[in-house]
Amino acid sequence: MRIRAPKDFWSGVMFCGFAATALSAARGYSLGSAGRMGPGYFPLLLASLLGALGAVLIGRSILIGGEPVARFHVLPLAVIATAISLFGVLIEPLGLVVSLAVLTVMSAWVGAQFRLAETLALAAALILFCVGVFVYVLGLPLNLWPSL
Amino acid sequence: MDVIANLGLGFAVALTIQNIAYCFIGALLGALIGVLPGIGPVTTVAMLLPISFTLPPESAMILLAGIYYGAQYGGSTTAILVNIPGEASSVVTTIDGHAMARQGRAGPALGIAALGSFFAGCAATLLIALAAPPLATIALQFGPAEYFSLMVCGLIAAVVLARGSLLKAIAMVVLGLLLGLVGTDVNSGARRFNLGMTGLADGIEFVAISMAIYGIAEVVYNLEQKQAAKMVTGALGRVWPSFADIKQCAGSILRGTGLGAVLGVLPGGGALLASFAAYTVEKKVASAPRQFGNGDIRGVAAPESANNAGAQTSFIPMLTLGIPGNPTMAMMMGALMIHGIAPGPRVMTDRPELFWGLIASMWLGNLMLVVLNLPMVGMWVRLLRVPYRLLYPAIIVFCCIGAYTINNKAFDVFVMAFFAIFGYVALKLDCEPAPLILGFVLGPMMEENLRRALLISRGDPMVFLQEPISLAFLVLAAALLVVITVPAIRLRREEALKE
Repeated sequence: MRIRAPKDFWSGVMFCGFAATALSAARGYSLGSAGRMGPGYFPLLLASLLGALGAVLIGRSILIGGEPVARFHVLPLAVIATAISLFGVLIEPLGLVVSLAVLTVMSAWVGAQFRLAETLALAAALILFCVGVFVYVLGLPLNLWPSL
Repeated sequence: MDVIANLGLGFAVALTIQNIAYCFIGALLGALIGVLPGIGPVTTVAMLLPISFTLPPESAMILLAGIYYGAQYGGSTTAILVNIPGEASSVVTTIDGHAMARQGRAGPALGIAALGSFFAGCAATLLIALAAPPLATIALQFGPAEYFSLMVCGLIAAVVLARGSLLKAIAMVVLGLLLGLVGTDVNSGARRFNLGMTGLADGIEFVAISMAIYGIAEVVYNLEQKQAAKMVTGALGRVWPSFADIKQCAGSILRGTGLGAVLGVLPGGGALLASFAAYTVEKKVASAPRQFGNGDIRGVAAPESANNAGAQTSFIPMLTLGIPGNPTMAMMMGALMIHGIAPGPRVMTDRPELFWGLIASMWLGNLMLVVLNLPMVGMWVRLLRVPYRLLYPAIIVFCCIGAYTINNKAFDVFVMAFFAIFGYVALKLDCEPAPLILGFVLGPMMEENLRRALLISRGDPMVFLQEPISLAFLVLAAALLVVITVPAIRLRREEALKE
């Protein structure tokens, strides 16, 4: 058996994965009946449909040819996702200024043409702008500095 | 119902100093991001969603709407001068627009794009004012069965008109519907799909998922693409088009506006489809079609009028039926819902100041955009020198602050990080994210209407086929699916979308 359409194949796998997660999570939800739908009725319907669509994609990818999957650029994705999560971790204990600095430098670092001085200037500008707009103009409740 | 009295009310709302300011900010921001390649109206609207929650609902809608149609003006500038579309909907403008720029006629090209857009914007706004009230009156009589079928039809149409694989697009819709159900079930109070996380009790935050997909995932995807920009830096020439130009373009602008207005109303339509269709039609209809591709001014006028008309009329289904035609409309719907307003036919009767204020602001915004664009084109050109490496960290920063400040919960930031990864994988696998966002917004409403319809019919699913209006929607949806799978038409669709 050969996978002729890798893009379709992996899409199918992804949809089946989501469907399986949904089905296993929805095991305990009561279905009810069509006339009195329980919380599990519509989700079960959708998850089964999603699983079926995923299966069709997988099946078709073995029968009919298609495009290969382009190379994944894992590094930018991983660094940016980490930077964002880190922002979520840092914002409450360390405040806006520090967490924005970390976020900006990490995101800029992973781009193609990283220049340290320029990035630091960008970080400073973004921090000033965000503090000005979000904290002073819009009055959002954000800590600026580490809370001890 | 008196359109003039209603428009009067609208202008009274739109002409308050506060709302003029938001309209201006929206239009300016829209034009700005329209000029910049790599950041579009969807991303910007997503980034501004959290801010819009701090505003009154009508100001929020005025601001967000300004971004969408403002981007249609800005996108043409980049297309003409740099030969890369500032916006997806300006792709076809590059063909004749950039050719004109190389011939030293960049000025008239920019001028006719702005004038065409202005005319289209005004005409489309008038169309919304005239067409929306009767449509809403009809929609008010819809029961749950009609609504369910309407949503099915809307989603199918959106999928059919989207590009890429039909099967994947449908799967993305279903996944979106499923993700929309995460959280507490309104009827039973059961917590669904929270996977043991308390943060998911209220569902997946709409703002977080939109910014993840249209902000972060786009950025990561763009970082891979190499862009070589060739700017036309010479003199722009006279910006104001000559009388002969305008005379030559009058027909194109009219046709573009008409076509764009119709296509904008369709689900899955909006600015992008409108501009492609208008260019294709113009090539067929116009005299001396040979000149298209070599700097024919009509090749700029038609698509630019069409994309602005389409951007504007795509508000009609959202405001009157509560059906979003494209991701930007889905986000505007999300903004309304977070303000506690259910989008649909009742908006017009319950919140007339919101509805008519928004319409009046569109007209105002279009006027501002012509003024912003024609004399200040030189300033926009300078903006193009901002490199992407400075732009994208800013996008990420605004998305993070936005995600955090919706509920002041770090959890929403983690949700955003997760869906950013998902969004990137989906883009890589050619799974268009637009259907997912549409499904996500409609998920809970679809379940509610399905539940109610079946409750009334005592569980008999035939109710969807017995109600004539509901049946009509389902037949239309089925017809669309059949039509698109017929090979000959499929080929033509791919051709049309590829061109």
